Amino acid sequence: MTVRCTSISRRSVIAAAAGTALAAPLPLRAATYPERPLTILVPFATGGYNDRYARAIAPFVQKHFGQPVVVQNRPGGGTMLGNMFYLQQPDDGYMVMVHSAGPFIPLSVLTRNAQYKVEDFWMINLPSRDATLVACATSKPFTSIGDVITQLKRDPRSVSVGIQPASADLVNLALLMQGHGIDRSRMRVVTYDGGGPARTATMGGHVDIGLVGGEGFLPVKDRIRPLLVFSNEKNEDFPEAPLSTDHAKASGFAPEYVDGSQRGFVVSRRFRDRAPDRYQIMFQAIERATKDPECVAALKAQQLATTWYGAEASNEAYLRSASLMEKYVDLLKQA
Amino acid sequence: MVDLAAAGSAVALLAGSLDAWLWVVPGLLIGLVFGAMPGISVSMAMALVLPATLYMEFLPAIIFLTSVYTGAGFGGSVPAVLMNIPGTSSAVATTFDGYPMARAGKHNEALGLALVSSCLGVLGSYIVLFFLVQPIAELVLRIGPFEMAAIAIWGMVLLGSLGGKSLSRGLFAAGIGVLLGTVGMNTAGYLRGTANIPELLDGIPTIPAMVGLLAASQLFGLVNTHFLVEAEEDRQISLSRIVAGGMMTFKHPRTLVRGSMIGALVGAAPGVGSSISNLLSYAEARRASKDRDSFGKGNPEGVIASESANSSSEGGSMATMLALGIPGGGATAILLAAFAMHNVVGGPRFMDQNRDIVYAIILSNFAQAVLLLFVGTAFVYCASSIVRLPLRFLIPCVLVMATMGSFAMEGSIAGPMTLFVFSVLGWLMSSAGYPVAAVVVGLLLGRLIETELLRAWQLAGGDIGEVLNHPWALVIIALMVLSLGFSMWQDSRRRRVEDITAG
Repeated sequence: MTVRCTSISRRSVIAAAAGTALAAPLPLRAATYPERPLTILVPFATGGYNDRYARAIAPFVQKHFGQPVVVQNRPGGGTMLGNMFYLQQPDDGYMVMVHSAGPFIPLSVLTRNAQYKVEDFWMINLPSRDATLVACATSKPFTSIGDVITQLKRDPRSVSVGIQPASADLVNLALLMQGHGIDRSRMRVVTYDGGGPARTATMGGHVDIGLVGGEGFLPVKDRIRPLLVFSNEKNEDFPEAPLSTDHAKASGFAPEYVDGSQRGFVVSRRFRDRAPDRYQIMFQAIERATKDPECVAALKAQQLATTWYGAEASNEAYLRSASLMEKYVDLLKQA
Repeated sequence: MVDLAAAGSAVALLAGSLDAWLWVVPGLLIGLVFGAMPGISVSMAMALVLPATLYMEFLPAIIFLTSVYTGAGFGGSVPAVLMNIPGTSSAVATTFDGYPMARAGKHNEALGLALVSSCLGVLGSYIVLFFLVQPIAELVLRIGPFEMAAIAIWGMVLLGSLGGKSLSRGLFAAGIGVLLGTVGMNTAGYLRGTANIPELLDGIPTIPAMVGLLAASQLFGLVNTHFLVEAEEDRQISLSRIVAGGMMTFKHPRTLVRGSMIGALVGAAPGVGSSISNLLSYAEARRASKDRDSFGKGNPEGVIASESANSSSEGGSMATMLALGIPGGGATAILLAAFAMHNVVGGPRFMDQNRDIVYAIILSNFAQAVLLLFVGTAFVYCASSIVRLPLRFLIPCVLVMATMGSFAMEGSIAGPMTLFVFSVLGWLMSSAGYPVAAVVVGLLLGRLIETELLRAWQLAGGDIGEVLNHPWALVIIALMVLSLGFSMWQDSRRRRVEDITAG
């Protein structure tokens, strides 16, 4: 089982690395495509954002794709199992992923020795961006990020921080501490395996502050105090939270940050290269579905993102955050 | 604490909506059937019916899903009793005494016991929820790493010597379980013992491993037996005996209440609740009992303790979901997804603005608990007919079901492979006289203890004195020491009395 898995993914890696040169002309003509149902693969369990997004947009993709659309969940290993499974599928254009591509794909490569590369995946559109939020329970004494920094500067051990190990949030924490010259190794960092537990710990006051994706805090907005959001534009959900870029400029360090989550439709680069006709058809179906006014209304009603950024902007955002994570890979490994 | 006006309009809401009632019995039945199939968990059963709820109104949709939740919660105990297969990790403790009862020809009674304790557990937990939804949620939110670690250690200490005549063998088996539980990525992001198998990144798949250890290993041992129940006259399926078994529940009110309390509180703890509450409740019932040695050999109290705790976990996790919007486990995550599908955001604001709907959900669950009694009786009556099936048919069927279930659970061949490896391990261990149940307990609790202790250590920054700032954790540990000491003192006194009377 293992041997088979690794050998196939290694083969696919080599194939992808060699690019189109190696790829023999495949009998994949667009004339009959699509003639079978399309599967949306979600590398997470049911009930999360990606799952909800996939299920909500599925009927509209179906409408524009012209074939039934089914959603399949394949969670595990921080999306690594789903990613490996996806790369093993034929490039026939009958499977597409809905994924938190950033940060999960780069993280699995950097911290879990995944047998694929960040560039093996190609973004169609990443409408949902969830920024890391620094927050504390309303019972905590902090009223601004300044309070937290002052106390940390006085004694790095005085504030406990709840966070997910090997996450975009951790990179952001590291950047913030580096900027302020605070020794992170002396801080009390408490690790949680999942955004949910990290939020519960923040909300319940088990930790003094938490760094975790802001969106999940929406239902419990009244119980937390947002202190800082890692972004360069105002957060719609937490408009009162100051921006990390402003904070960095005011404090005199580089305003760098990584996006907490970049979610949306993802295919393999290999599929795009080998079956460009099919890729175009799939791409257009997803674009039309995303822009469909009915779809926009339906998704908005479920608090799901609907923006169309397109492939170019989405890939750029994905690769930018991946390279930032690569740059700070050492920070990720010392949780 | 109860908003009477809202409760009134909740009654009106339920009375005026035929839809809300129409779905209760089908929901219970779907839950029972799926829950009873090894390998389909409560959350999977709910996920399967989730798409259908998109076309319902909000309240009927939620009521339908909670009916499936209630049904599946009990459904898992049917294979636990009849085949030693815990359908979910929350039915593990049910196998400890339920299965020995079934083998002794008391399958009717065992199922009756399990059913009535489950119904009472659900009912009890929702009654508590009705009055105390907010305080319970607040209390659960306070359970941090220190407190959770203390609770898990309590469970581990009490269950350490589980079912073993020899303490050293019990501890050895539990140690193996704890070690196996550490495979995978820990909460701090370190990979251990995965041998480069990506499927092991999240640890050993618990349910296939449990089914392998408990059920498959048992089945190999039954190869030379013809029927599950040896004596032919005991092989009957009797409604009156199911009812009689159900009535037995009322003879042990303390076990029942204790189990429900543990279930509602510990079971509500996000993430791990229901899989530990049944073990803890079982362990406490065993500790408090005068007749400790009969546990694991078919003591009805063991079934009551486990079932009342795992079913009352439902009310507990509903409390955190409704009041805080935190999904404690897969089932409540799906309920929250259903909320989102109907354009409702669960959480404190929903609670404040829609108290009538919250009360309607709770009240409907009272009705579900009562209806479960009847639907469940019919269901166990049919299900218990498998005791009449010769084992040469039953064993292959169960093995096939378990294999398919473990495949469904993991969605890949990793499930059946885990099942196979652990069946062999379980069979080897049980034939050498090691208690396999202790491995399961180690597997379930070991990981929990490690995770919580690690977080406690991180939180303390390596300073042991930090535990003094968490009085509740200390209270829990103190209670544990006191109760253990009390039992030991009672034991020694009883032995002395026995010595005197014998001498």
